[in-house]
Order: sequence, then C-alpha cells, then structure tokens
Amino acid sequence: MSFRDKGVRKACWESRDRYWACLDLPDIQRDHCLELRRLYEMACPVHWVKHFDRKRQYMEFKERIHSTPGGVPTGVALSRP
Amino acid sequence: MTTLISYIVRTSTKLDKRCIIPLLLQSPPPPQLLLLSPLRTFSSEVPKSQPPQKKRPARGKGPVTWKSLAVTGVIGASLLAFMLYVRKEKEAAQARERKRALGKASIGGRFELIDHNGTPRTSDDFLGRWVLLYFGFTHCPDVCPDELEKMAKVVDDVEKLECGQSIQPLFITVDPKRDSQAAIKQYCAEFHPRLLGLTGSEDAIAQACRAYRVYFSAGPRDEDDDYIVDHTIILYLVNPDGDFVDYFGQNKTAEQATASIVFSMKKFDDANKKGFLGSLL
Repeated sequence: MSFRDKGVRKACWESRDRYWACLDLPDIQRDHCLELRRLYEMACPVHWVKHFDRKRQYMEFKERIHSTPGGVPTGVALSRP
Repeated sequence: MTTLISYIVRTSTKLDKRCIIPLLLQSPPPPQLLLLSPLRTFSSEVPKSQPPQKKRPARGKGPVTWKSLAVTGVIGASLLAFMLYVRKEKEAAQARERKRALGKASIGGRFELIDHNGTPRTSDDFLGRWVLLYFGFTHCPDVCPDELEKMAKVVDDVEKLECGQSIQPLFITVDPKRDSQAAIKQYCAEFHPRLLGLTGSEDAIAQACRAYRVYFSAGPRDEDDDYIVDHTIILYLVNPDGDFVDYFGQNKTAEQATASIVFSMKKFDDANKKGFLGSLL
C-alpha cells in the first residue's frame, strides 16, 4: 500500500482541524458536528482517525488538568507511579 | 736596601713563598724586615706599579637596580604566560580525549543500509560531514511530517548562517516492510531535495535502531491492513567524525535546534583547531 502523499495529508489535516474547531465552539453539542465528522472520516485513513481521536482526548485531558486549580479534579483517574 | 725590597715586592706576585725565602737569604735582610713576617709584609702593601683599585660603589647603587628588576619582571612574566598557555593546551587535549571516549560509548554507531536510489550506504560514507538523522516511516499520520519539515527548515537555516556549514539530512525507516526504495524516494522528495532516505532488511534496520537506541514497535493492524509504528521521535546530530553530539525532541523548535547546532559546530571546530604547540608535536 502506498503512503499518503503531501496533498492527501494536507486534506486530511484540514478536515480534522475543521472538525476540531467545531468541537471547540462554546456550548456545542457533539452531534452538531456530525456532518464534519463524516467528512473528516472520509478524508483520513481509519488508523489516522483513531490516532487523532486519541490525541484529542489527551489534549482535552491536559486542558482539564491545567485549568483546575490545585491539581487533579475528582473523578479523573490517574495512575500513581 | 729599598730597591731590594721594592724588587722583592714586585716579584712576589709572580713567585710563591718558597722562592721568596731563598731570595731573602741571599743577602742579609735588614733588621726591619726580620721583625715582620715576610708573608704579611708582602701581602699587605699595595704594589705601586698596579693601577689604583676602584673605590667602593656610591651609595644607592646596589646589585639590584630598577632596570634589572624590570628585565627580570619581563622575563618572569613571559615565562609564566608560556607555562599557562602550555597548561591550557594540555587541558584542552585531555578534554578532547575524554569527550571522544564518552561519546562513542553511549549512542551512535555503524549502520549498513540502502539509500532511496538503490545504492548501498554505510555510516562511513557520511564521515567528514555533519549529519542530522531521523527515524520514521512513510505511513505516519502527523509526527514524522512535522519533524521532517522541522529538519528541512533547520538544515536550510544553518546553511544560510555565516558560521553554519552544510548538513546531510538522513531519514531511516522503521517500517522496512512497507517502505520500499521508491516509496521513500517519493516521500523524502516532498520535504527537502537533499534528504536521503535509507532502508534495508529488517535485521539491518534493527541493528541501526539498536545503535541509536531507537525504540520502534508496529501497532495492531486494522481492516485495511494499515498500522502505525510507535517509535522514538528524535533528531540526532552526528559530527564529521561520526560521533553522536546532540539530540532534539519534539519540544525543540527549529530556531532552538538551529542555535544548538551552530554552537556544536563551533565547539567542534575549536576543539579540532590545534594550537601552535600541537602542530609542532
């Protein structure tokens, strides 16, 4: 299987960014961005979608950690070293 | 009688005491002479024929003058400077040896791979040039393209600087199963014209990764038989001697990496520039 060249990569990233911009809007419900999600899944390979979803989850987790004063908010599971 | 005495005194400097006694015995010595010991008489009188001795030196002019002090100071200072210079050279040479021994042991080493044109290449082919090395794979979603863009920018920025030299960027795949020569050639061309891709057998790749302590692990395959290879995301800087010098992770921007590289280049050139004494030895 050949790799995705620069053009394909750019298209995938742009559709991903549009989807994420929708999710970042204040007071948005997840199902309002479904159309963008569909376009995003079409533009990017399956594995990349999974990879970017995990990345998004991690970015949101980091946001929550940094914005909570005094450290970890309750309800967030953290593995102790 | 006075002529006899003056004659004896004149010749006493040349003759030793054994000669003087027989001379004295030849003619009866005058009573004045007998009273005094011959040695003391002849040694204490100043011979009139010799030129007058110099008087003692005038007050204030001892053996140590300002001039002699200045001369000694200059000689001493120059000797001290010479000694310090020699010591600095020795320390620099010692540091070089230490660094060389340390660098070889930890990261870096030989690799034998094939470049994207099909030519076999070993790590020795890149000696004499600075090298930036990145391990990745062509099916990478976002990290490898970002890092390769950064690498291309760094290579161009360093070359543009006065104190910078040209760097050979290298890309070694951690996914030799999928990344053929043609695929790598097309992939590398998208980032930088001089970026050279390297691939090879799985064993050769594994050996290269081991040399640079690169972790890589293919993930689970999905329905398209696609998978992502998890791997160490680092740019390695290797000097013209083939030794690993520095590394840049994802957190370093292109500007920070450029600054570090230029600094490493200067340090390398300074260390290899032999001092005056070094060139004599």
